[in-house]
Amino acid sequence: MLKQNMVSPVGDILKFLSILMLLVITVISQPTFAAVEGEPEGVIMKNPGADLWREVRQRNIAIEGISQIKSVDSGILINPEADRWTRFRVDQLVNYAAIILAGLALLLLVFYLLRGKIKVEGGLSRQMLHRFSDYERVLHWTLAIVFLFLAITGLTLLLGRTFLIPLFGQEFFSLLASSSKEGHNLFGPIFFASLIMMILRFVKRNIYEKGDLTWLVKGGGIIGKSHVSGGFFNMGEKTWYWIVILIGLLISVSGLILVSPNFGQGRVIMELSHIVHVISAIILIAVSFGHMYLGSVGTEGALESMKTGYVDVNWAESHHDRWAKECRDNNRVISADKFNRLQGKINSGTEESGSVAVEGNK
Amino acid sequence: MARMKFYCDAERCIECNACVTACKNEHEIPWGVNRRRVVTIKDGQQGERSLSVACMHCSDAPCAAVCPVDCFYTTDDGVVLHDKDICIGCGYCFYACPFGAPQFPENAAFSSRGKMDKCTFCAGGPEDDHSSDEYKKYGRNRLAEGKLPLCAEMCSTKALLAGDANMLSDIYRKRIINRGASVLNWGVNYDKVKLNT
Amino acid sequence: MATFIDGFLWYFALAVFVIGVSGNLVTIILASRKVDLSVPRDSAFSGALRTLFSRFLPDQHMLSRIGIQVVAGYMFHLGLFILLFFAAPHVAFLEENILGFGWTAAPHWLFIVASQFAFLGIIMLWLYRMTNSVSRLISKLDDHVATILTFLVMLSGCLALLESFETLRLLHRFLVELLLIYFPFSRLMHAFTFVPSRLFTGAWFGRRGVDS
Repeated sequence: MLKQNMVSPVGDILKFLSILMLLVITVISQPTFAAVEGEPEGVIMKNPGADLWREVRQRNIAIEGISQIKSVDSGILINPEADRWTRFRVDQLVNYAAIILAGLALLLLVFYLLRGKIKVEGGLSRQMLHRFSDYERVLHWTLAIVFLFLAITGLTLLLGRTFLIPLFGQEFFSLLASSSKEGHNLFGPIFFASLIMMILRFVKRNIYEKGDLTWLVKGGGIIGKSHVSGGFFNMGEKTWYWIVILIGLLISVSGLILVSPNFGQGRVIMELSHIVHVISAIILIAVSFGHMYLGSVGTEGALESMKTGYVDVNWAESHHDRWAKECRDNNRVISADKFNRLQGKINSGTEESGSVAVEGNK
Repeated sequence: MARMKFYCDAERCIECNACVTACKNEHEIPWGVNRRRVVTIKDGQQGERSLSVACMHCSDAPCAAVCPVDCFYTTDDGVVLHDKDICIGCGYCFYACPFGAPQFPENAAFSSRGKMDKCTFCAGGPEDDHSSDEYKKYGRNRLAEGKLPLCAEMCSTKALLAGDANMLSDIYRKRIINRGASVLNWGVNYDKVKLNT
Repeated sequence: MATFIDGFLWYFALAVFVIGVSGNLVTIILASRKVDLSVPRDSAFSGALRTLFSRFLPDQHMLSRIGIQVVAGYMFHLGLFILLFFAAPHVAFLEENILGFGWTAAPHWLFIVASQFAFLGIIMLWLYRMTNSVSRLISKLDDHVATILTFLVMLSGCLALLESFETLRLLHRFLVELLLIYFPFSRLMHAFTFVPSRLFTGAWFGRRGVDS
């Protein structure tokens, strides 16, 4: 609009104009144009170049025209976010994801070699506590299986071009990537469903309470040997739970936006969803490494709770003392013999091989 | 070797969409897929202009950079093509392309996208030239016949140009000179201004 | 390999399946059973029919005790039914290779949602079998093999959803053929035997005037 003011209808004034241009005083030139208004007028037509390309491309926002091709974003000629997304994926995402995950796995290995398995204080007793019901364990392993499947297929798509194509060749990797993509798309909503069930079942026991801060201060007993206090879930487990739920929801929602491209969401939304999806997924996979480590080789007796639903009383004492006390008060402690009978291990004989540790390692 | 490019002259494009139709017809493209589209800027306002846009066959193509299975390749003519046998239909090229060139055939709820389809500069695909396989997946290979892309060849106003980049810029430069764009005052058409008087 | 899976193995599997299933059913139907000489109190026929359909509904008393199994069981079986008989590629396959006629396939989204239910169901059911100590004890190798084989068939089908890789299609078909061969010799037979079982029980109850 500014340009229109600067140039008023002019005819035969080229000489005049050149002189003015030489003077380079536009402000003074304005009244001069007005003075030659009476001259024969030419048709004013702006060179569309400037305005057109301004409309076609802006640095930050996509401008929308119209198109006879009716599809999402078909009116946008240039989407500036596309380049940013490309740079993010090519320059940062692939490298950092690989470094973070590989580094973390290495770190856990070093930690295991240094710290070893965290033993149950006072060894395993011959008394058990019921910790997780069948449904809770089914839920846990459902989420775990679906999560692992999604993590493997997702990482195949993310890192495969860099690491797997040199290994398998392009054609076989394409087959692998195609199966990964289809599997990932189909199992994604299953993860969402399991996550919802997880929220409904466990949310009550995972609300933070008074004693949790002490746990945090003492470092959860991972570092050092001090005794840390905890309820049914201790502070670390609660934090893991909330990471799973919150980041899991983020992953699920962004994933649903990506998996159903037919609800009119444009490319910019999908690019953002992809970034959210992949960053939160990397975080969740990274933290899950820690969970899998602590739940299996890291802590003695922890896996038992998810395998059989029962835990050793001494294990409960060292990790969940408040819960253990509550169970003792309510007479919920059962003997190892009864536990074996409940597990259907009657044949092994209760007298000769009574040790739970032996049974548990089967 | 030639460096193939499209150029759409916004001063000439009349939004007839014939390039879109010609492309669809020539390559028998399925319903819902449009390798080329015409976009009108400032529709109905002063300065309305139209541009026909398809794959730009970028020198450093972002689609090729993000493809998780690395299915893109650039021909000696500078045409960016992809291998549909390798493509898994993930849609990353669609996110990466600023021009919205990659197209996907299926769009139903929870559907997986089919394999990507995009403008091939009428240069077919990795299959043997003129094979029925190539035609089925990528459409006609006009470049191998010694012809240019149909959209440009049949453009009635010669707005859409296709061919070697140097030749295109020569043609466009001549047009600009004849149109009389001036460096005196950018944005002004001096067509009616009498020079040399 | 492709000609073997698409050719010989397919016909062999189909033959084993058809002969095995019909053989099993004939054996069951022709099995001699005690003749009931008592005066019928009610129609055995209506009892049989009623039971055949009423057993599709969940039992109220069971629902409260084994809720996971009931819910996951319905999810799995209904999902599997839809994806088996109404997925577009399955309908096309049946029309081309076996039946010669087809029917309207489910829309793609329904196929996908159904298979998601089926997947969630089968995973939870198998995990329940493994975690619940009673279920674990009464499970035989057959149960695990049948479950895992079914799961693998479903998974390979899910991985081949793009329908563009020959290897994935062959893998799916190969696993289907293994399942067909295994079917008549396993508890998977319940897909057919539930009908005579319910009919027999229903008739027996109906004859005694028990409303079940």
